[in-house]
Amino acid sequence: MAVTDNEVKNKVESTQKAPQDTQNAKPELPNTKEGRLVKELLEKAPYAEGSVRREKRIEFRVPAERIHEFLEIASEKFEMLMQISVVDWLKEGEFELVYQLWSVSESVHAFVKTRISRENAKMPTVMDIWPVAETYEREAHEFFGIIFEGNPRLGPFILEPREYEKHPLRKDFNTLSYVKTIYGEDFDRYDESKTNYVI
Amino acid sequence: MGGDFISYELKEFKLFEPLFRWARKKSIWLVAFCTGCGGIEMPPLVTARYDIERFGMMPNPAPRMADLFLITGYVTPKTLKRIIITYELMPDPKYILAHGSCPINGGVYWDSYNVVKQLDKYIPIDVAIAGCMPRPEAVMDGIREIMRKIENGEADGWRRYRENYEWYRKNQDELFGEGWRERDAKRWLAWL
Ligand code: SF4
Repeated sequence: MAVTDNEVKNKVESTQKAPQDTQNAKPELPNTKEGRLVKELLEKAPYAEGSVRREKRIEFRVPAERIHEFLEIASEKFEMLMQISVVDWLKEGEFELVYQLWSVSESVHAFVKTRISRENAKMPTVMDIWPVAETYEREAHEFFGIIFEGNPRLGPFILEPREYEKHPLRKDFNTLSYVKTIYGEDFDRYDESKTNYVI
Repeated sequence: MGGDFISYELKEFKLFEPLFRWARKKSIWLVAFCTGCGGIEMPPLVTARYDIERFGMMPNPAPRMADLFLITGYVTPKTLKRIIITYELMPDPKYILAHGSCPINGGVYWDSYNVVKQLDKYIPIDVAIAGCMPRPEAVMDGIREIMRKIENGEADGWRRYRENYEWYRKNQDELFGEGWRERDAKRWLAWL
């Protein structure tokens, strides 16, 4: 367990270091349409970090306070918001929001990543840029409890009302104990000696 | 579930019961209601390779004309509401065939907050096929089993549902909360 933990940490560190190094050394975004797109955007928004992952994939990291500003600038090139996905980093106490944008004119997929604290997670809505964001924000609100200020339809959405309050995709939501209260204790899966839990 | 249904105690019905059973067995119509992963197993079943129409089975557009309800995979509480209403719309006698391990005990979703474990608590199942996902051959075997049960008169899920309606109703209400029929189902089907 410890070994794997270390490995994971190392990996996280190395992945975090990589963009910093590249920033310090200021290298060279590749001279492709992706590279030019990143460069163009970073000139308008110097507070963001950007990189090219591979063909047709680019990535930005933006501080949470300036996300709305950044997305407004980005929306000139990226006409479509495809998804807002959320990653729950429990140990770091942060949610990572990933706005996935698609540029119809350039055929490029951009990830715009931003981190906010888990407690009292609040974000400005981006409905005024892409109206479709309403649905994605409602979903992120229901599953993770992030409040999008300015979205008028936050509230119970897909799940049963009793699950709405619990935000079941948060990593600290104990599915097993919840299942036992809802569907009954008799679904416990112990082995014959009643000591080990088995799947 | 009102009281005025055809009484099977009539002498004529008793006399013709074997004929009825044979006819029921040979003309099973399915409710085309696909839940979970198994919906994708239906096309091979009804098309040329496995062709269940040679048993007189066919997917059918309305629950009012159906005999067999195929539960083709995991069932979420939201789907279960629709399943219960659809099941109650079907005329007696009606049968349920459950595919896969999910309706039996949750399968791989054993600790998921959103999958109903043990479907048999909420609606009566006549035949359950284990496997994740059962191949069409296994489904065909389940269909043969249900035909056998219909012929012997063992497929009595609809009668169990009628007789133990309070118990099923209690379990459903525990899961959805009292008055879910009035709250939700009335919105979809105003005449309920
Ligand atoms: S038993 Fe397997 S294939 Fe069937 S619904 Fe469950 S997970 Fe899907």
